[in-house]
Amino acid sequence: MTERRTQAQIPLKEFYTPEDTITLDYETQLNSPGRYPFTRGRQADLYGASGWIQRELSGEGDPVRSNEQIKYLISQGQMGIDVIGDSPSMAMLDPDHTLAANAVGTQGVSLCCLDDYRELYKGIPLDSISVSSSLPPIFALAGLYLVAKEGGVSPRRLRGSVLQTPFYAEDCGYAMQMPFNLRLRLSLDSMEFCARKMPKFHSFVEDTYFFSESGLNVVEEMALGFVEIRHLVREMIKRGVDIDSFAPRIAILVNCGMDFFEEIAKIRATRRLFARMMEEEFGAKDPRSLAVVITCHTSGLSLTAQQPFNNIVRGAVQTLSLVLAGVQAIEVSAFDEAYRTPSKESHLVGLRTQQVIHLETGVAKVIDPLGGSYFIETLTNELESRIWGMVQDIEARGDPAELSYEGWFRRFFQDAMERYGKQINEGRLLKVGANVHQIPDEEDTMLKEFTEKKFEPCWDRIEKIRLYKKGRNEKKNKEVLQKVHQAAKQPKASLVEPVLAAFGDGATMGEIAGVMRLAYDYPYDPHGLLEPPI
Amino acid sequence: MKNSRVLIGILGLDQHEVGAVAVARMLRDAGMEVVYAGRFNLPAMIVQTALQEDVDVIGLSVHSWEYLYYLPELMSLLEKKQVAIPLIVGGSIITRADEAGLKKMGIAAVFGPSATPQGIIDWITALSGENRGLRNKKYG
Repeated sequence: MTERRTQAQIPLKEFYTPEDTITLDYETQLNSPGRYPFTRGRQADLYGASGWIQRELSGEGDPVRSNEQIKYLISQGQMGIDVIGDSPSMAMLDPDHTLAANAVGTQGVSLCCLDDYRELYKGIPLDSISVSSSLPPIFALAGLYLVAKEGGVSPRRLRGSVLQTPFYAEDCGYAMQMPFNLRLRLSLDSMEFCARKMPKFHSFVEDTYFFSESGLNVVEEMALGFVEIRHLVREMIKRGVDIDSFAPRIAILVNCGMDFFEEIAKIRATRRLFARMMEEEFGAKDPRSLAVVITCHTSGLSLTAQQPFNNIVRGAVQTLSLVLAGVQAIEVSAFDEAYRTPSKESHLVGLRTQQVIHLETGVAKVIDPLGGSYFIETLTNELESRIWGMVQDIEARGDPAELSYEGWFRRFFQDAMERYGKQINEGRLLKVGANVHQIPDEEDTMLKEFTEKKFEPCWDRIEKIRLYKKGRNEKKNKEVLQKVHQAAKQPKASLVEPVLAAFGDGATMGEIAGVMRLAYDYPYDPHGLLEPPI
Repeated sequence: MKNSRVLIGILGLDQHEVGAVAVARMLRDAGMEVVYAGRFNLPAMIVQTALQEDVDVIGLSVHSWEYLYYLPELMSLLEKKQVAIPLIVGGSIITRADEAGLKKMGIAAVFGPSATPQGIIDWITALSGENRGLRNKKYG
């Protein structure tokens, strides 16, 4: 018989007994939900009356179309908003950039100036719904802050989050072509700003989702996540910011693959590790600083292009594991994920998956129902020790900024991509419909009418943004961009206020990002196709 | 016979790199020489790199719909410059209908989600051999 192992290659026994958990100390290692070290949950009333935040990642076309999409999802019971930008927006390029031509609005919503955010959030109650995003964080923050203020909503009431990805974004996924130090500074400045002005807003979501989609296992996913969190926390402390002023607003957006129990144990181990680290190492005192908010986007990598109906089953299984682990928000990767950003149909399936599990199964009625299981507790301990071991190992390699410049992280991700590809090709990782139980392509038709439906890029938006830029006062735009450039030149200045001012005055994301790059001796346009405006 | 020399690249702002990296390493393991052009390429850059690096086959990894608009431009560039290097395309988003369209356009081979590693290697080996015979002639 082949050896039993988890997806992260942790050896498994046939069954577990009290012997396996004999050294487990309830009070110090588990404790009740809502009590240190929060292994069993961050709050005593985990899901309250309404459940976790049930939402789906949305965004396509121009901001008007995405606004309609959001309103539809809310009408169907979505409890929070999570907006994803198209690939130009993610790369901080305006739609009129040459490289963006065929990508405007196809993999998310196209957003590049304040007018876009006004349209995106039109008629949405920003004072009562949480607004999260997969967007360049400084601009998502600026857009939300400015639109809320214009609409008479105090930024102090805003809930939601932005992802901070200074470490790994360049290496696997959302390259913005900015130097490490600038990426880091933008994150830290945003966190400082939010601690003062947006106390309910999660200014630092550690996104372990996107980089683990390169094929990392759960140990690697969380270890890299902790390395980034620890670095940002240390830098904030160096700046003299009180840990308890920003730590309660750190959250982790995790991935969720198909190894059911391992994913549950990962989340429980993460809560315990985070609490101990915050208290013992960083001296946090506020209980909210110790109990980390965990949200999840279920794995797109785990889904298949073949037999897309199987993806609905995968989403349901992953959602169940997340609810059993106890998380604060869930987005289910859509069944058409292998082909496109979610269609209306797959959005509804994702939302209904969550609603069926929440309202029909009763699994959310008791917190941490698997707590005390010989197996789950053993696996939680094992993951805790492996994740921490890897954090120590990476930190022992030296300054993460250096590691990033040397390409150490990039190689790490590339090795994982290769390993994942091999596992699938060699049949060591089974994917029903893809490398086992296949059917001929011509018979694989169920749901394909949704997965294969395409729409065109928003070409008219390119012209619209060109006209928008021409319609501005060029001299004034230059001035506001110069102010951003000057601030970026001074390492001690905060970048948030000048970015807010420039964005508020009509400068675009591409322009603001470009002048910040210039201040760090990087090219204004990473692709060498645009002239700097200043 | 010298080993196949293959360019692997991604077009436009498609940032999904898992497939390209996995395929590049797989081809290397199979003894081929891989010129990895990475992300953010426009058609003209692909053609230029392919010529500079004297590759036998151009392989594009596609995980966004951008390729649908870039490939006609790329094919006509190859034709205009009389470059006889076969172009192959792979990616999980390619549907059967897309595949038919691509073949019509003159793409030498298309690898959808069900392509096998050996299938890709065999195709590239065959195309490289053919290509050497056809060098400096128009690819037909």
